[in-house]
Amino acid sequence: MNSSKPETVNTGIQGLDFVLQGGLPRGRPSLIRGGPGTGKTVISLTFLCHGISQGEPGVLVTFDEDPEALLHHAQGFGFPADTYVKEGRLRILDMRPDQSESAGEGIELTAILTRIEYALKQTGAERLVLDAIDGMEGAFLGQSGLRKELNRVFDWVRDQRVTTLITTGELENFSTRFGLEDYIADCVIALKQEVQHRVMTRLLRVVKRRGGPHSAGEFPFLLDSRGIFMVPVSGAALDARVSSERISSGVPGLDEMLGGEGPYKGSTILLSGQAGTGKTSLASAFAQAACRRGEKVLYISFEESVDELVRNQSSIGGNLAHHAGPEGGHRLIMEPVRAIEMGLEEHLMRIMRSVSHHGPDLVLLDPVSSFTNRHEGECAKEMLLRLMYLLKEQRVTTVATELLSDSSGGVSHLDVSSMIDVWIKLRRHEGNGEMNRLINVIKARGLSISNQVKEFRMTDAGMTIETPYIGESGIVYGTARHARQEEDDQIIAQLQQELDQAQRLREEMEETNAARERLARAEREAKAVELDRQVMELERRLASIEGARSAIRRSRQ
Amino acid sequence: MTKYLLRLYIAGMTPAARRAIENLEALTADMATQDQELQVEVVDILERPQLAEDERILATPVVVRKLPLPVRRVVGDLSERERVLVGLDILER
Repeated sequence: MNSSKPETVNTGIQGLDFVLQGGLPRGRPSLIRGGPGTGKTVISLTFLCHGISQGEPGVLVTFDEDPEALLHHAQGFGFPADTYVKEGRLRILDMRPDQSESAGEGIELTAILTRIEYALKQTGAERLVLDAIDGMEGAFLGQSGLRKELNRVFDWVRDQRVTTLITTGELENFSTRFGLEDYIADCVIALKQEVQHRVMTRLLRVVKRRGGPHSAGEFPFLLDSRGIFMVPVSGAALDARVSSERISSGVPGLDEMLGGEGPYKGSTILLSGQAGTGKTSLASAFAQAACRRGEKVLYISFEESVDELVRNQSSIGGNLAHHAGPEGGHRLIMEPVRAIEMGLEEHLMRIMRSVSHHGPDLVLLDPVSSFTNRHEGECAKEMLLRLMYLLKEQRVTTVATELLSDSSGGVSHLDVSSMIDVWIKLRRHEGNGEMNRLINVIKARGLSISNQVKEFRMTDAGMTIETPYIGESGIVYGTARHARQEEDDQIIAQLQQELDQAQRLREEMEETNAARERLARAEREAKAVELDRQVMELERRLASIEGARSAIRRSRQ
Repeated sequence: MTKYLLRLYIAGMTPAARRAIENLEALTADMATQDQELQVEVVDILERPQLAEDERILATPVVVRKLPLPVRRVVGDLSERERVLVGLDILER
């Protein structure tokens, strides 16, 4: 064992490595037990072939399945197993028991050890798989020394310092009876299948992990023609790796409502609204904006088919087909997910597998409410939270739409608000014989948002957001808005006219007054002049009479 | 005349291997007649692991009837002669 190497060996199954906090213990034996068809062989094949693909040769010992079938199996998961064998990097040891008679005591299993050792040496193997070791018991049933001999095999395996994966069935507790679990395996993984609501779920549990931490609990996983895929149920603490980069929603007016530049990259955006409020169109706007920025978009449609989507969006100025096609650089990947019979777990895992396969910057889930409608509420909610969590963990921007029922009164019953960074609500406003779409931002973490309800219009040229008309009798939208505006315009014109008139009258009155005053003053002045003239005349007459009188008096003396 | 080729695989000279060799030699000596000849080869797989691989051997000691075909095999220390004879399909005198 090389001390500079990490303590764990990756299995090639991302989720399993996560659950095992790195992988299987290096240079030690691990055990997988589970009933038939639970995925033991697939996990061990993946472990082995993944190692080979990384330059670590491997030896597979089969006690149950035909080596040819195993090779075929591995090829099916995309490993060139035949080539590995030809290149001497993979060796399969056929240890299927044959029908030998036994005569006498004292069988020894040294041959198994010899063969494995020989193969390990020849290939330089660093990984070893013993598949279906419980097959040994049936082969040597009734042999008194079997337990002792098997223990010798297990001891020997442990001493090889090769990272080993042993699989066994659950039948009659083989692993417990032969002390595999407590005695030799440093790591024990149990697999099982469960059927709930007519949907089968495969579950994995780490029973034991010596010398290292492991995640407790049962982890669902997916097993199909593409191999094994699993996502952890509850990852580590929420690693909030938030970006300060902002992205455009594709609708300028909406960006303005979201602090001017749109939401943060990597945030989780929920668009809630009743039927026909434009959720999908808005989501498509997000998608197209991302494509135009050169980002990769994974559009997961739960209801509309791809063709329908392309057609419907092209009618409002969208061009999904362009971005999905070669001209758009295949930046938009559209995946309809409509398997109703699929379990929630399977949905989640299929989505996450697509995400890890395509590596998108933005994921659209349209509409997520189709989950909650179809499945039991709590489970669906939990699964949705996990999905959003996982997407966030991968720094993927998520745009999810939620269909609100008309009877919901516009109240969301997803109840996932804790996970939502930006929550946009779309609603219909009906009145005056027409329907208008309204949009408002309920919350947006870390953004200064507009608290105004705005009007959202879908036109041939795309989407626009308009500030509604706020007039004398409240807020009005749509055509009514124009009607009301016109009405008010007339009133204004009329009032203006009246005002002008009043002002004119007022001005005229001033003029009249001034004229009157001027006239009065003139009159007053004229009168004063007249009176002055009279006074002078009277004074003159008085003086002349006085003069005459004094002349007479002087003459008499 | 029937010619038997019996190959005994052992993994080191263990007590069981030694008993198997003794039992098989005694058997061949007893069974040899004018009509049948029994030839025994002993192979130690510790020395020739590739043979163990080719023969797909799991447990030792094991005696394999290579000739005449079809191949038959019997595991154990061969202490139960009747079962050895039945297992290898060797005719008794």
